Amino acid sequence: MKSPPYPIVDLDLGTPLDIHRATVLPEWIDWNGHMNVGFYVVAFDKATDTLCAQLGCSWEYTREKIGMTFVLEAHVTYDREVKEGDPLRITTQILDHDAKRLHFIHAMYHATEDYLAATNELMLMNIDYATRRSAPWPDFALERLHRLAAAHKALPMPPQAGRLIGIKRKS
Amino acid sequence: MLDSLPYELPELVTRAPLDIHRSVVLPEWVDWNGHMNVAFYVSAFDQAAGAFMRNMGLGRPYVDGKLGMTFVLETHVTYDREMRGGAPMRFVTQLLARDAKRVHLYHDMYHAELGYLAATNESIVMNIDYATRRSAPWPVPVAERLEVLWQAHRHLLRPAKAGRVMGLAKR
Repeated sequence: MKSPPYPIVDLDLGTPLDIHRATVLPEWIDWNGHMNVGFYVVAFDKATDTLCAQLGCSWEYTREKIGMTFVLEAHVTYDREVKEGDPLRITTQILDHDAKRLHFIHAMYHATEDYLAATNELMLMNIDYATRRSAPWPDFALERLHRLAAAHKALPMPPQAGRLIGIKRKS
Repeated sequence: MLDSLPYELPELVTRAPLDIHRSVVLPEWVDWNGHMNVAFYVSAFDQAAGAFMRNMGLGRPYVDGKLGMTFVLETHVTYDREMRGGAPMRFVTQLLARDAKRVHLYHDMYHAELGYLAATNESIVMNIDYATRRSAPWPVPVAERLEVLWQAHRHLLRPAKAGRVMGLAKR
């Protein structure tokens, strides 16, 4: 598909992508008095929507019954607590992609105190709406993906990407 | 380090893997793709980790008594198959490693009626001192229970999906 039946936002070639902002909602707080582990991923998933909007594959993509994007795998590092009402800034770096998939990482910062709160590495797959199975990115998305990936190529690999979970034993 | 806990601990379940947690996909966990959203898999797994922690003696009274908390440091999810609203979930939990302050847990999430694997989760959970909000060794009775659990779990086969590094395999 050359172009979708809806307008797409202007492509932002800032590196990393630094356009997503959010606020920690009261219902995201747990009995430990901070944002719950699940809601970090809610916040990150909304940043994924912002990335998908750059490709033309966000809500309208599903509403028009063209396709969907499914997460295959996710890795979160919880680096520091955030509390109710805290402003969040989420940046996004493309790490790799192929005909159907996209590998990227988000970094969540406290927007005014500037500390790193968490990171989220993701593998996303394009899905055909009718078959609900994997399918190549539509042309309009792939063209934008190539441009984003080319812009992000010069960025260093974040230390949180490609991590293996484990307890390091002190010898 | 706390030498004792001022509440009654539940009877220790030493079955390995631990197969005690059940849950249901709530309607508010379903997203515009018509399935459980990525974030709520993490919430569901967090509740399964909570069941493991309760078995160790670290349930709600631990936090309500202002003794301590447990924080997740890192989590890795594989999304293997979709779950719809109302789907019953069954969790199987394996202790992969432990030290004086941390546990490395692995969970499989199954559709409880259809039997298929829906997702897996690997996480590191750390004990936190309530007053300082910093890491602290497990309370003594918890460390004792953890050692009993470790002896029960240590000989289990390592799950195939544990220890994954994300990436696009080049074909």
